[in-house]
Amino acid sequence: MPRTAMHASWLLRLRASLACYALLGVPIVLLGLFVYLPVCWAFSKSLFEYEVGGVSAFIGMANYIEFFTADPTTYVALANMLVFTLAAVLIRLTVPLIVAKLILSIPSERWRHVYRVVFLLPVVVSSVAMLLIWQGLVFSHQGLVNELLQYLGLGALRRAWLADPATAMGAVIFIGFPWIGGFEVLIYYAGLSAIPQSVNEAAQLEGCVGLRKFLLIDIPLVLSQLKLMLVLTIIAGIQGFQNLLIVTRGGPGYATFVPGLQMYYNAFSYQRFGYACAIGVVLFGLIFGLTILNMLYFKSSEDIQATA
Amino acid sequence: MTPRASRCCIHAVLIALAVPTLLPFVFALNNSVRSTAEMYHGYFGMPQALREMAYCGWHALTGAEGTVRIVTDTKQMLTLSYAGACGWHARAITKNYVQAWTLLRPFVLNTVWVVIWVALGVLLSGSVAAFVLARFSFPGKRVVFFYFISTMMFPGVLTLVPSFLLVKQLGLLNSYSALIFPMIAGGQVFAIFVCKSFFDGLPQDLFDSAKIDGAGFFNLYWHLVLPLSQPVLAVVLIMNVLGTWNSFLWPFIVNTDTKYHVIASGLYVLSVSESASNMGVLFAAYMLASVPLLLLFAFATKPFMQGMTSGAFKA
Repeated sequence: MPRTAMHASWLLRLRASLACYALLGVPIVLLGLFVYLPVCWAFSKSLFEYEVGGVSAFIGMANYIEFFTADPTTYVALANMLVFTLAAVLIRLTVPLIVAKLILSIPSERWRHVYRVVFLLPVVVSSVAMLLIWQGLVFSHQGLVNELLQYLGLGALRRAWLADPATAMGAVIFIGFPWIGGFEVLIYYAGLSAIPQSVNEAAQLEGCVGLRKFLLIDIPLVLSQLKLMLVLTIIAGIQGFQNLLIVTRGGPGYATFVPGLQMYYNAFSYQRFGYACAIGVVLFGLIFGLTILNMLYFKSSEDIQATA
Repeated sequence: MTPRASRCCIHAVLIALAVPTLLPFVFALNNSVRSTAEMYHGYFGMPQALREMAYCGWHALTGAEGTVRIVTDTKQMLTLSYAGACGWHARAITKNYVQAWTLLRPFVLNTVWVVIWVALGVLLSGSVAAFVLARFSFPGKRVVFFYFISTMMFPGVLTLVPSFLLVKQLGLLNSYSALIFPMIAGGQVFAIFVCKSFFDGLPQDLFDSAKIDGAGFFNLYWHLVLPLSQPVLAVVLIMNVLGTWNSFLWPFIVNTDTKYHVIASGLYVLSVSESASNMGVLFAAYMLASVPLLLLFAFATKPFMQGMTSGAFKA
């Protein structure tokens, strides 16, 4: 190829590449500005005593040291977070799976569709509205739970469930009962219906039916969905505080206080943005570490699946 | 057990689970047409206004003679015919909703405005970026894709506070931009991911023959990619609208001015404000806030459910 032609094709390629980058410009800039820059700030500002409008002073690891050794709310919050996360894992890995299995064992396609739609409806209701309904209509003083207790002659047990330190945490976990109004059912349903018909028939021939089939065949074959839900639930459990902010604000006292709320209050009530960033970084570290652990373990579970 | 009996059992269990799932919403709906006094009087029971309306309406229809006396909220005594009383009670039923709507209207308008811009931004920038990444080769392509996908690694809890500081520094607190731009930034990653895997699956022959016919980038995108990818774009759109409509924390933090509240933050602020004493109005507001999403769900059930299962891979 003559030299000039090579030169021209090189120029053309350069022009095409520049055009590609121009077209990708918007997402590159937006993500740089609204994701990568805040990520960098989270780390850098966590090293400062940072106050908006005030003087910010570099204090090294002091925020982290305060979080782990001096802040009296830290371990209360972490313990609550652990309980909420464990409860969420127990719930979201069992109930929706059983419901998905029940729906799938209905022969009529139309009814299967109806049930899936019904169990998805609560997702469609604005989540803030859903929480406020539970707060104002189920657990309030004149709420469903208290009225039912009264009706059953157990009026002595009436209480403000979300405002009583003894019951607040249980009541928060109970929100959404029976915990199937969500996309979890659809995920498990997709996993279960992807099990090849040949497997189901072979199981039937071998006399492996009912509960035995569910435990020995179905569950191993939806292991990847279970793992996915496990990861999502743990991540949500570590960083979630929006629901608590709406229904209890961490109260009464510190009964439902979690690290996310600790971060929120330090930033937006006490204006301690540096410290809040440090809490965010610690929670990110926790999520990141668990994700890595999970990825290492995930491989092994896929191997099990392959040999099963 | 016979198959028939076991099938009945399954239906029974599922219905037994569906009832408590939907029960809080049924009670909210019921209480949204009751007055506060009625709610304090008894938790269960039909709305009084509805009962009375049915009663008066029945008498009006059967042509019964006579009048009904009604005591209004302001302790005035009204004497009306059956038909008139029926209308009066019908207005009483909608009263909570009318009041809730006047409270909610500014929030709904704000939310719709934000939803439109975010959805447009996400669809446009997401699909263009996915198209470029899926169908063109240029140096650094893998790096760019990695740059996009890596953002999923950072949880909201890490970026929430610094993002607030950034938006504050940009002078965008209490504005639509404080919602629209960060939400486009966050939403487009899912769009890029879903669209790219769809575009990767389209046959290359299509693009080759279109190029031979002289189609440039814009023509390929507008006349080939967009029409073909309608189903996947519908999924992206629906998940995005659902996310924006329900977003609470970010709008609550950056827009504290009542003028810029969206539905979710507005509902929360209403629930802790003095108007919370009128519970019926609040429940009516909760119901109204969910109507648009219910309509979306009713008209687009299939992409909605597809999105729910693909949305899980977002994190």
